[in-house]
Amino acid sequence: MSIASVSTVALSLLILGIFLVMVLNLNHMVSTLETQVQISVYMEDGLTDRDMREIGTRITKLSGVTEVMFIDKKQAMDKFKERLGEQQGLLTALGETNPLPNSFEVKVDKPELVKPVAQAVSQFSGVETAKYGQEVIEQLFSLTKMIRILGLILIVFLALAALFIIANTIRITVFARRKEIGIMKYVGATDWFIRLPFMIEGMILGFGGALCAVLILRQTYSEITEKVYESLAFLPLIPKDPFLTQISIVLLVVGTAIGALGSTISLRRFMKV
Amino acid sequence: MNEVSKVYSNGSVALADVTVEIDKGDFIFVVGPSGAGKSTFIKLILREELPSSGQLVVNGRNVVDMADKEVPYLRRGLGIIFQDYRLLPNKTVYDNVAFAMQVIEAPRREMLKRVNNVLELVGLRDKARTYPTELSGGEQQRVAIARAIVNKPAIVIADEPTGNLDPETSWGIVKVFDTINKAGTTIVMATHDKTVVDVMKKRVIAIEKGRIVRDELKGVYGYED
Repeated sequence: MSIASVSTVALSLLILGIFLVMVLNLNHMVSTLETQVQISVYMEDGLTDRDMREIGTRITKLSGVTEVMFIDKKQAMDKFKERLGEQQGLLTALGETNPLPNSFEVKVDKPELVKPVAQAVSQFSGVETAKYGQEVIEQLFSLTKMIRILGLILIVFLALAALFIIANTIRITVFARRKEIGIMKYVGATDWFIRLPFMIEGMILGFGGALCAVLILRQTYSEITEKVYESLAFLPLIPKDPFLTQISIVLLVVGTAIGALGSTISLRRFMKV
Repeated sequence: MNEVSKVYSNGSVALADVTVEIDKGDFIFVVGPSGAGKSTFIKLILREELPSSGQLVVNGRNVVDMADKEVPYLRRGLGIIFQDYRLLPNKTVYDNVAFAMQVIEAPRREMLKRVNNVLELVGLRDKARTYPTELSGGEQQRVAIARAIVNKPAIVIADEPTGNLDPETSWGIVKVFDTINKAGTTIVMATHDKTVVDVMKKRVIAIEKGRIVRDELKGVYGYED
């Protein structure tokens, strides 16, 4: 068992780990976005407070609606200013006029309900439009599905690749000791007695490789999340705690199991005496 | 062994309806031309191969009905010697013999005593610390014999043990077998060695084309070399 074989295993498990982290993060982002989807209901100008309150009540009564929040023109402007941040000076050009409409922000309990609720609300009199980013949410749904399936396929393939590498590495040791194995069989060693040392070697190889992969992955992910929180705060990455610990355990277990399995596969041919 | 046949998957018949009984304590030579089925005969006893039909009982165990995981325990009652010795070159003579006891997880103290005893028996006590490559062919085969008997098998099976040795050395090997046999161990030896068979006057089983053609108590080799 050389440094070369440990690092090969480490590399394949690292790639496996990277994909695992990426797939889980994408999945997490998409589900976060799904729950954040809300309907903005824009009101026509010149409605009375009573009209608007009545629309609000009617929206609340629709099935699936969990939260209705009224945002008047002034609040909308404040929010807009906040978003612009340092560039809010631009708004001074508008003077005293506020072009933003009064609106409701509506949340529903299931992402699938967004579309029917929005359609119902847009029929109400006094409502100008109800927007929720139709295309975005539909693409989101198909994207989630695809990521989940592709991710699973990819991870299975990468695990097989790691298994193949470990089996091949152990095969070299097994081959070098094939005479010994033959003699052991002839003098009555049990299969488990012969298999155990090779299995332990495979497990150490798998565990060692996984450990290297885990260390690199932890370091990299910590740095990436830190950078992202600084500059791209809106990107919902999975927080490193306890995510990294879970991933580490998964990789170590998978690495060790692959090691045991790989050495058993390599041994099979030489055990037939 | 009762009406045992072995047909290999390529269709060649290695043994056909062989019935033979070998008693405890026998010393048997199995003779016959190359390819007659001697090796298959031995492989069946070791359960390296399963018979295609028939019944085979070795050392009180039914080999045909045996589960794979019982095979190691069958082999612990058998000592096996090959023409090419099959020693481990990176282990000393002592370790080669001790290896057979290690793999069946024998207690360490017993191992030390047994290994020294059998090395004494084969006359290699003083070579215990040397490596197989430093030994002559005859000495290497004695190490192999020591390894085969260290676990006190009931039957010792030797597949042409003197095939690579000169006549004088061969005699040394056969004498060791005779000693082991006198201590009560059954010996089954496949051989091409005419002189050895003729002089020893033991039971001879001759196999030709997969059939037993001769089974004599004080037999001779019976073939012209």
